[in-house]
Amino acid sequence: MATVRAASRLLSKRVLANMKAVPAAAVQGSRNFHFSIYGKKKSAKVADDISTQYPVVDHEFDAVVVGAGGAGLRAAFGLSEAGFNTACVTKLFPTRSHTVAAQGGINAALGNMEEDDWRWHFYDTVKGSDWLGDQDAIHYMTEQAPAAVVELENFGMPFSRTEEGKIYQRAFGGQSLKYGKGGQAHRCCCVADRTGHSLLHTLYGRSLRYDTSYFVEYFALDLLMENGECKGVIALCMEDGSIHRFRAQNTVIATGGYGRTYFSCTSAHTSTGDGNAMVTRAGLPCQDLEFVQFHPTGIYGAGCLITEGCRGEGGILINSEGERFMERYAPNAKDLASRDVVSRSMTIEIREGRGVGPDKDHVYLQLHHLPPQQLATRLPGISETAMIFAGVDVTKEPIPVLPTVHYNMGGIPTNYKGQVIDHINGKDKVIPGLYACGEAACASVHGANRLGANSLLDLVVFGRACALTIAEEHKPGEKLSPLKPSAGEESVANLDKLRFANGNLRTSEIRLNMQKTMQNHAAVFRTGSVLKEGCDKMADVYQSMEKIKTFDRGIVWNTDLVESLELQNLMLNAVQTINGAEQRKESRGAHAREDFKDRIDEYDYSKPLEGQQKKPFEQHWRKHTMSYVDPKTGKVTLRYRPVIDSSLNEQDCAHVPPAIRSY
Amino acid sequence: MSFLRLCVSASRRVVSRTQAVGSVFSGSSRSASGALKDQEPLKKAKTPQGRFDAAEKSGDVLEKFPDDVNPKTKEKGGPRGPEPTRYGDWERKGRCVDF
Repeated sequence: MATVRAASRLLSKRVLANMKAVPAAAVQGSRNFHFSIYGKKKSAKVADDISTQYPVVDHEFDAVVVGAGGAGLRAAFGLSEAGFNTACVTKLFPTRSHTVAAQGGINAALGNMEEDDWRWHFYDTVKGSDWLGDQDAIHYMTEQAPAAVVELENFGMPFSRTEEGKIYQRAFGGQSLKYGKGGQAHRCCCVADRTGHSLLHTLYGRSLRYDTSYFVEYFALDLLMENGECKGVIALCMEDGSIHRFRAQNTVIATGGYGRTYFSCTSAHTSTGDGNAMVTRAGLPCQDLEFVQFHPTGIYGAGCLITEGCRGEGGILINSEGERFMERYAPNAKDLASRDVVSRSMTIEIREGRGVGPDKDHVYLQLHHLPPQQLATRLPGISETAMIFAGVDVTKEPIPVLPTVHYNMGGIPTNYKGQVIDHINGKDKVIPGLYACGEAACASVHGANRLGANSLLDLVVFGRACALTIAEEHKPGEKLSPLKPSAGEESVANLDKLRFANGNLRTSEIRLNMQKTMQNHAAVFRTGSVLKEGCDKMADVYQSMEKIKTFDRGIVWNTDLVESLELQNLMLNAVQTINGAEQRKESRGAHAREDFKDRIDEYDYSKPLEGQQKKPFEQHWRKHTMSYVDPKTGKVTLRYRPVIDSSLNEQDCAHVPPAIRSY
Repeated sequence: MSFLRLCVSASRRVVSRTQAVGSVFSGSSRSASGALKDQEPLKKAKTPQGRFDAAEKSGDVLEKFPDDVNPKTKEKGGPRGPEPTRYGDWERKGRCVDF
């Protein structure tokens, strides 16, 4: 505390960008508070309106982007290109964002391998989303896709090429020609096997051309909202513990997904749903959080996914009794059943006590009965993968696997332009000043299920869309609307409370409780009783946050504090996910329930429509879930919003009427 | 002259004595560590720099195509090794990265 007071005393002397040496006596042995601004030299002012204990610095920008992954970078330099004074606030260095791990491809109807049309891509995406996707947003994304990929290529992204020099496209991700009737489409462009890595580095390199101000390793705490308008962001500088308020007319949230709410996920430790939580604390809804995409065979502990090809080549899943349990659940297809059947079967085995390991919480994938030569030729590299991530020799021991979270289809609700919306009195209302893009947003193009290679496309198209919308509606250098001087004091109070928390449960213990509860109750196997039990347990875990104990009382690079803040964010996402899943009494896309196995739409689309009564809005489930949370009690309120069924231009691209989804 | 010869012989004796001393010491260390010093040269510590002195590691499991052109599909600059999407998901080294 003494060092912090010394720092604030230093600040009150307005010793900022020029680092003048302060006499040692005045400093009392503490580090000089050093703050410098990169990019445009707008003066940042020190404020002591909200706290005299923490150094608070105010900044003014035209636009602030939270998050520097694929979507955040695209939005940031799109805005800088349009002349806006932009700040990019990120808790990680841009090239460390989780986009770098996306090794799959990016879909676009370029038509290089065969004749192609973006309207067929539109149809495939609408069908893949199980008719929960907003068709205007999907229209926008698939129509912009070729232009987006060509733009990336012009930025220097080294796509793989055909002999003629055009971008090579391969078949992937449920894509078809002629509205599903023309066979497999080849639409997936890639950069060797590191598309996401290359995309992120290309975008970062491109963004350095423009003078975006990067605030790297600044953890965004909350939105600054006033009268229902978003006026900026308040963030913690992790390096020196100072608080920064970024005032801006436009705020773009691109913070990524929240895989870390589950015990087993492929996401980085930093995927903690910060954007979703910031929006929730501001009293705004999150959309469709119960739709979480799982993969059946993820390595226990590490979270890397083992390809289905292992089972295709003869690998089998076994339980603690050594039994090939898939024979009971899918007598014909056995281990080659579809992913959701396999995931559910694995979960049922674990629930019934036939799991393996000390906690009996996973199963084994056995490959050692196959000849090692065959493994090496058909699946090169698998022994390396198994050894590095699971520590097993794949020719002698089985690999421990369990269903793993890969992607979050839900997020902050936006319209097709990227503006955040709320659903009030039956109409969508745009929240002024707030935009969202990327995995954090739910536009919603993925609906109930994401198709492969569509996610990277989503990032660049909607990142650009946010920048274009802001450029359309605002001008650079606009005067900022007034903000209460005390804006953000709750965030600082929360920070202070966490920093000196002295309960009896560690952050890591509470986090593990939450992850285990979510993995056991809100994973692949969902039924009413299991979900209800999970909701109650999650409510208890949420309350246990009051007893949190942190150990590091410092202010410089306090990772204990930052992890506790991230845990608060994860908790908000988790309660919304499990409550949304419990209320949704149907099976659609990635949300599959054992007690309600069918999709419940306004008509029964498996039968002819004539003579059918249209079900009222309250009785069918083809609608988006909008969830609100009271942060103090953890109580979740759910409302519903209709799906947008019309495309942007019915003459150009007719909307796809709902039908039964079968491949 | 004689003084010089004395000096030389003295230094030679000193050298030989130090040599003898040296041989005594090295002899004792040789006997202590056995055949180690005889057969293998001193190993560099396992530092990042020391890795460059180690034998060239065998190539990556996924070999590069000649000229980076996939002979079957004629794709230039594409993924190495077998086709990643052959099982319906995007697979690399046994890991699924997209599906």
